[in-house]
Amino acid sequence: MSTWQDLVTASLIGTERAPVPPVRIPGLPDPAETLLDPAETLLDPAETLLDSAALLTAARRAGRPAGHAEPLAAAGPDPRPLVSPAAGSRLARMLSGEHPDLLTEWLAAVVDRGVRVPAQLVPGLLDRARRVSPADPELRRLAASAGGPRARWLAGLNAEWTFVTADAPAGEDAWRLGDAGQRRGYLTALRATDPGGARDLITASWDAAGAAERAMFLSVLAAGPALGPADEPLLEGALGDRADDVRSWAAYLLAGLPGSALGRRMAGRARRSLRLEAGPRGTRLIASPPAECDASMRRDGLAPGPGAGRSQLADRTHLLLEVVARTPLRTWTDSLALGPAAIVAVLSGDWAPVLFVGWSRAAIAQRNQDWMAALINEALTGRPPAMPAENGALSQLARRADPAIGAPDALAGPEPGAPLAVRAAIRVLRFRYEMLKELDVGYSHG
Amino acid sequence: MAERWDRARVLALATDPASQRAAQALACGGSWPLTGAAGGNALWGECQGTAATPYRTAIELSGPAYRCSCPSRKSPCKHAVALLLLWADGAVMVAHYAPPAWAAGWLNTHAAESSNAPAKDPAEPADPKAALRRAEQREERVASGLAELDRWLCDQVRQGLAASQQAGYRHWDDIAARMVDAQAPGLAERLRALAAVPHSGPGWEGRLLAEYALLRLLAVAYREQAALPPPLRDTVRSRIGFTVRRADVLAAGRPVRDHWQVLGRRDLDQERLRVRRVWLRGRTSGRHALVLSFAAAGQSLDDSLTVGTGADAELVFYPAAIPMRALIAARHDEIRLDPPPGEEVAELLASWAKALGEDPWLDSWPAVLAATPARSPGPCLFDASGDALPLHPGAGGCWTLFALSGGHPLTVAGEWTPRGLWPLTAWDEGGMAVPL
Repeated sequence: MSTWQDLVTASLIGTERAPVPPVRIPGLPDPAETLLDPAETLLDPAETLLDSAALLTAARRAGRPAGHAEPLAAAGPDPRPLVSPAAGSRLARMLSGEHPDLLTEWLAAVVDRGVRVPAQLVPGLLDRARRVSPADPELRRLAASAGGPRARWLAGLNAEWTFVTADAPAGEDAWRLGDAGQRRGYLTALRATDPGGARDLITASWDAAGAAERAMFLSVLAAGPALGPADEPLLEGALGDRADDVRSWAAYLLAGLPGSALGRRMAGRARRSLRLEAGPRGTRLIASPPAECDASMRRDGLAPGPGAGRSQLADRTHLLLEVVARTPLRTWTDSLALGPAAIVAVLSGDWAPVLFVGWSRAAIAQRNQDWMAALINEALTGRPPAMPAENGALSQLARRADPAIGAPDALAGPEPGAPLAVRAAIRVLRFRYEMLKELDVGYSHG
Repeated sequence: MAERWDRARVLALATDPASQRAAQALACGGSWPLTGAAGGNALWGECQGTAATPYRTAIELSGPAYRCSCPSRKSPCKHAVALLLLWADGAVMVAHYAPPAWAAGWLNTHAAESSNAPAKDPAEPADPKAALRRAEQREERVASGLAELDRWLCDQVRQGLAASQQAGYRHWDDIAARMVDAQAPGLAERLRALAAVPHSGPGWEGRLLAEYALLRLLAVAYREQAALPPPLRDTVRSRIGFTVRRADVLAAGRPVRDHWQVLGRRDLDQERLRVRRVWLRGRTSGRHALVLSFAAAGQSLDDSLTVGTGADAELVFYPAAIPMRALIAARHDEIRLDPPPGEEVAELLASWAKALGEDPWLDSWPAVLAATPARSPGPCLFDASGDALPLHPGAGGCWTLFALSGGHPLTVAGEWTPRGLWPLTAWDEGGMAVPL
């Protein structure tokens, strides 16, 4: 007897050329006794075919048997408590595009607290991590760690997420045999647990490493725990490196290293450039930027000025900014005998934007929370930002400052009509404060 | 002030994902130099974009209704969604001053209009004789349209379906357009959807033949409708595109009161129309219901039924062989419900078979399974007895479902269709509904 497939074949060829096969409908009498035998009906063959197909379709759909499946091995248990519902929806918001740049900070906090993210958000998290550059594996590492056994289980099902399990070469193999991302991952982990060991490894590998890798070494130091005096010789040496990138990383790191020779050289330049002066309208900061950029300044990472058209800042203004950005912040509190909040509030006229940007960079590089708080407070309540670089600096401060600044009782809401950059900074600080606070409450075990 | 909405509720109002993303970017970028709220239900704000003057957005929450000076035709536009997001985050302060003049004018007019607004349902026909004449004309048009469709269908199988794979969308659009002329919009929609079948992968020939066969069955059923039992006749007519007025449904139907749980939600974009299908399950009766809502392209859909919520409500069902589509006649209290009980595959297939016996055109059926997802032989769900059903190939990787399960059983709600199960919702370990 004919089957559904015979009907389909006849319909493909067409009833003009193919005969309509008689079909038996399960549960109905044989076609010889029904209208559906083409030989017995007066219907057009096309009508017979469609009518048979309709009956058979209903019968096939209704009589569909269940199939069989190959069960998957279940994911391993994850004993870590689940983040609070508020934290879960916070992650969903970040994955759907809200403050995506804060995801790394949030994940690091999740991993740090030993909690896990809601299972249903793991695919979105892995998709986000997949799209970042493989040479910067931090987000991937954090996503895999926060996702835990469920992330590893999913990675086994979807080839796009193999990075979760592929960062496999562990220990020294990762360093000897791994790709750039794996070497970076190994070095980052080593620096976190054994800063001296990591420094020795960098020193030993320095000469054989290419320029991109030397820059990577220094960027790992920048992202890791605070530098110490023992790191200085390595960095001083790197100031003379062939590659621009390596030199500027070295200068940046030395500027943030307490007591470094570079910091002392910068402080000397800075003290010559800026002084307090009591005047009839109160105390003012008077700036006299460096006149030129000599060889020693260049070696310390100071560039001779922006290329034409890149910035509205004149060369000397730019030099002042670079010097301030690399000067140990204690220089100012010591030499001006004022606290950070007082210093940033001193009137400095047209120099105010330059000083704000310079101090902001210094505060971030030197991880100085007092200065960050003073600068944010100044930007939020004092003189509004006057140039684009100030907006950028404020935006960076809002992302690097202690999130406690964003507490509702610590941070006043934006004044009506406040500049956009100020409102954005307040929103970032609030967001960071809330996202971290949510991680410290309401875990459900199980 | 109205109770603040959560972000999910706000985002659901956005007309499309691009609009959601744009609104989220606007709501965190500090682009709002002025925002305010007042009068219980009014929000306003100025959004500084790339244009020289800021866009002015005003929202009346009770509708909700939106007005914005931006040129977008979407409603709500990204500015309105962004302003709602800010409000949801508590970033819009209740103003101590009256709304600015540009907002106040519209908000006042709008409030006045909405309080006098007539119900959306068309009023009783003014002239019963003319209405009867129009109805008769329509029956004639539909009858001749269906006769034409029948001839067209027979022509297709006479000439052979093999040519369909080369045929463009026009092939189906033309006959669909004739069904629109014949005032049979339900058929037109079904025909337009067929253009995708020849490109739907192996087995397309069988799927096309099945659709053609069921369409002819519908044409024949309409011709013979006098001989059909009334509920089946209602089904036939509704599938052709005859609508029943809301007021008539409410007048004729008996309200079914239950604790109705929102099982899942699926949005479909049709030509110039967006359809939201919300599946409900009555906790006491175990009965299922489907609530449809419609919006023009670019407009937001009704968001009152959120997955994971439940309501003590009275539903009235549209007349049909399998009464499934329903209206909410009255809504009492919101209630929180535990996950629904999951069925076995065999139970689902048995209820599906029985339903097909009443309505052979049925192409989606509510499913709540206690099952485990697997990927072999293809993406599927299997129950404790080892019976498996495929997931719908159009549903994508279903990664959220797999992530929730981790290889363990869970409760899944979805639409069972002839091509497989389209998963819509799963319940996590804590009993929370997760839209998939």
